[in-house]
Amino acid sequence: MQGELKMASAQPIQKELEQTAPPPFNLKRRYRPGETVIQGFLFVCGAISILTTVGIIFVLGEESWLFFRNAEVSIVEFFTGIMWQPAILRFGIWPLVIATLTTSIMAMIVALPLGLMIAIYLSEYASPRIRKAVKPVLEVLAGVPTVVYGYFALTFMTPLLQQIIGKNVVEVYNNASAGIVIGILILPLVTSMSEDALAAVPQALRQAAYGLGATKLETAMRIVVPAALSGISAAFIIAVSRAVGETMVVAIAAGAGPRNFGSWGDALTDLAVFNPFKAGETMTGHIVRISGGDLSYGTLDYTSLFAIGMLLFLMTLGLNIVSHILVSRFREEYD
Amino acid sequence: MAQQTNIPTTLYPEGAPLKRFIKKRLGRATLWSNLFMLATLVGIIALIALLYNIFNSAFGFVALQNKIDPTALVLQVQEEQLLAVPNVVASENDEELAAGIAADANAIGFFGYAYYQAHADQLKLLSVEGVAPAAATVEDGTYPLARPLFIYSTQKSLQTKPQVAEFVDFYLANVTNEISDVGYFPASSALLAAGAARLQEATVNANEGERSDTIVTTGSSTVYPLTVRMGEQFAAAGFTGVVTGESTGTKAGLAQLCTRGSEVDIANASRAITRVETEACRKAKVQPVELRIGSDAVALVVSRENAFLEAVTLEQLRQIFTTAGKWSDVNPDWPDQPIARFVPGIDSGTLDFFVEATFDGQLAALPKETLMTILTANVSSGLIRRFENDQPFAERSQEDIYQLVVERVIESQIVRSWTLRDSLLQRTEIEAEVAQIPNGELVFRNWLTADFVTSPQSSEPLQAGVRTALLGSLWVILITMLFALPVGVGAAVYLEEYAGNNWFNRLIETNINNLAGVPSIIYGMLGLAVFVRILEPLTSGRLWGVVDPTTANGRTVLSAGLTLGLLIMPVIIINAREAIRAVPNSLRQASYGLGATQWQTIWHHVLPTALPGILTGAILAISRAIGETAPLVVIGASTFIVMDPNSPFAKFTTLPIQIYQWTSRPQAEFRNLAAAAIVVLMVLLLTLNASAVILRNRYSIKEV
Repeated sequence: MQGELKMASAQPIQKELEQTAPPPFNLKRRYRPGETVIQGFLFVCGAISILTTVGIIFVLGEESWLFFRNAEVSIVEFFTGIMWQPAILRFGIWPLVIATLTTSIMAMIVALPLGLMIAIYLSEYASPRIRKAVKPVLEVLAGVPTVVYGYFALTFMTPLLQQIIGKNVVEVYNNASAGIVIGILILPLVTSMSEDALAAVPQALRQAAYGLGATKLETAMRIVVPAALSGISAAFIIAVSRAVGETMVVAIAAGAGPRNFGSWGDALTDLAVFNPFKAGETMTGHIVRISGGDLSYGTLDYTSLFAIGMLLFLMTLGLNIVSHILVSRFREEYD
Repeated sequence: MAQQTNIPTTLYPEGAPLKRFIKKRLGRATLWSNLFMLATLVGIIALIALLYNIFNSAFGFVALQNKIDPTALVLQVQEEQLLAVPNVVASENDEELAAGIAADANAIGFFGYAYYQAHADQLKLLSVEGVAPAAATVEDGTYPLARPLFIYSTQKSLQTKPQVAEFVDFYLANVTNEISDVGYFPASSALLAAGAARLQEATVNANEGERSDTIVTTGSSTVYPLTVRMGEQFAAAGFTGVVTGESTGTKAGLAQLCTRGSEVDIANASRAITRVETEACRKAKVQPVELRIGSDAVALVVSRENAFLEAVTLEQLRQIFTTAGKWSDVNPDWPDQPIARFVPGIDSGTLDFFVEATFDGQLAALPKETLMTILTANVSSGLIRRFENDQPFAERSQEDIYQLVVERVIESQIVRSWTLRDSLLQRTEIEAEVAQIPNGELVFRNWLTADFVTSPQSSEPLQAGVRTALLGSLWVILITMLFALPVGVGAAVYLEEYAGNNWFNRLIETNINNLAGVPSIIYGMLGLAVFVRILEPLTSGRLWGVVDPTTANGRTVLSAGLTLGLLIMPVIIINAREAIRAVPNSLRQASYGLGATQWQTIWHHVLPTALPGILTGAILAISRAIGETAPLVVIGASTFIVMDPNSPFAKFTTLPIQIYQWTSRPQAEFRNLAAAAIVVLMVLLLTLNASAVILRNRYSIKEV
């Protein structure tokens, strides 16, 4: 019945349609210039990051080139010299590098074991409640500005070390307290990256281990950590890179003035150069100190900063690339 | 035939060795799990130590040293005001005052109770704040103008002149008998006993000095009649010498006592010796001995002929003695006659006491004109002219002038500061140490006050504030946001939506990941070379014609903002990419299916959905930028500016840089300032992070 009705009414409508037929649709794709402009603008935004890198390399490179081109400076002395004293035109980088390494190694001693242990605890042992309580603590630690850590190093850590070890051993400005505080600074970074790596290991592996009668410790240390090793090593290397580039903590707490030494023989025998409890300016601390004062463009002091900066940039870039390779090449893939 | 394979039976332990083996493994497992828990605890302890250290320095005791005692200054100014009004008669001789008041029906004045009692037939006593002076009200302190009476001697006099020591002994023993007769009120026996003990202490090493016949007294006009009476009684008790007395006023009397080689043996005083006077004594190598002998009520009197006054309030007194011209100015019911004021002179202790009791002694509460008087009286005219040139005094507020007075006249200096823990635990040692400081004052200071946030930078720790730094930070962050957010999100959109999988786009991706790991100081050097140096016409404002006359170089807010923008851009891009990736593809497909173009899809569907995630990442990046110090130091943040930044081309300093500078100073009070500034910074960051977390939690529920 309804079908009949439709058939009956279709005819008049069809007639109407034929009488008032609209022009045929233009199905060609409409050209929208706005889209191209926007795409171009967004491409430029993306390319700004390239410009940044190009800018960094260009600026550091040019000023370093000016530095090394100067008659007073020899590139050999820069890389092998053991005294950094711009006033008498000695530009040997090793005192600064040794101080950087000392501080970073102290930071690593603090951050790596602690960070890994906290990550293992959080991912393997902790109940969700504890995890919810500990995570904000780590986030707050990660969000504290580095100046505050510098203040902490000078006003808390140094007196603490002096109390524990003795005032005559630990100077007011020293690398050890700066190193320990940098360790605390990068602790959240190590923990979060290691935890991500550990969490990526599928539960099936853990279950299999438990099924074979392993304790939690054995599962964690012999199954999970080796499985997440690429991520954990990447975390470690990023942490080292961060510690090397850290500026404010060392600027405040590690002292002003590079710890120059006489000769490599002296350095290796009495080890005074490597003593972390004495003051020793790092590469980053030196850059900040000199640029905070009077600095005229084009002088030897000015360009020397860029040479140090270039070295720093290459060091951290190298570390970042290594960590990237570790992750991409050695990451275990699970179905 | 079944092969007999040799299955070793000793590979896996069984029985008792098995139990031991399992126990060893379990033991090791528990040990290490405890170590892991300990590691977590260490992390938490580190945070607690950090926060404790900051708060420990943000509060604490401070030992201040004033060049001029502010209370003494206020007193002096108020007294001068009192004596400078028209229709005032000042005299150190209370008899004169009594006679003058008695003669005039429109007169009012005040002096010691004894003088009122001596002229009670001609004078009428007024009650103050509803309380009339009497023995009871003086004793319990309800009468507002009750005060102690003292005599002061010197250790030298007591030790070398035995007749003085005997007189003082007699005085203390017998004063209570005589004092009501004279017209004052007795001190409690405990106080007299304490005085006697002090006398004993002072004379314990007395060598038998020369006995002479004179005892010289001077000082307060109020105590004068009492000392005279005691002198007479002493003579009646057998003293053959002479007790001389003068009525010069408490201030003059104590000053005379405290001069080197002074002949004065006893100074009468109607108030306690002030700290300034004790200092003067100490400088003159004189050791004063304080002996309380009684109490007095300062009597406010009018003539018997006065018919309209019975009681006054302190507020009315204030007006009567300073601003009012006629009685009707104070109270319209009173006659329209000029007030005749009779007050003790500038050296009188009674005047000091009256002014202190009636007027507010706070320097900060003084009106602007009074503060101006203090300023002009104590600061060189050249300096006044310079202040006038900087900003006319008429335009400055009362607080401004008060600050100037504190800075230039009082000149409070911090001698030492202590942390909160030391302040609480070593209170007595600290108080002892401060007592040694001349003109020193111990104040518990909260370094983090509203003033701290609103005051500009200053080289004086007491006045320093973070306003300049805070505004600088906000300006820089504004420019950073305006630059980094659009560009960063744009790059993320490009990489996620438009970019194909070719080598160039992969290069951009790797590049961004590397940039995120570059140390911040490198960005500072980039900013220094590019924005400050190469783009100097742009960033210093020369191109736009807006130049800060004090800078004229590229070290401006604009350079700082751009540098920080470059710094946080990789982070913003990475976070935004994650957020955009999280938008389900079905949304895009649906939009395309309805005929939308790519940009329309992105703008109307993808971005709004991804917005919370993008914003969260942006807020976290910005809180990182706020805390950055090293790049801005390299760019050239100003080490000391007082003017707030008011344009993108202004010099600047930021909060973290301020903290860095204050921490680098050796004096302890700058550490306290740094701690307070750190608290401000942390509060700022915590607010930002909390809002990011709230945003994330609120919008993550709405995910499709």
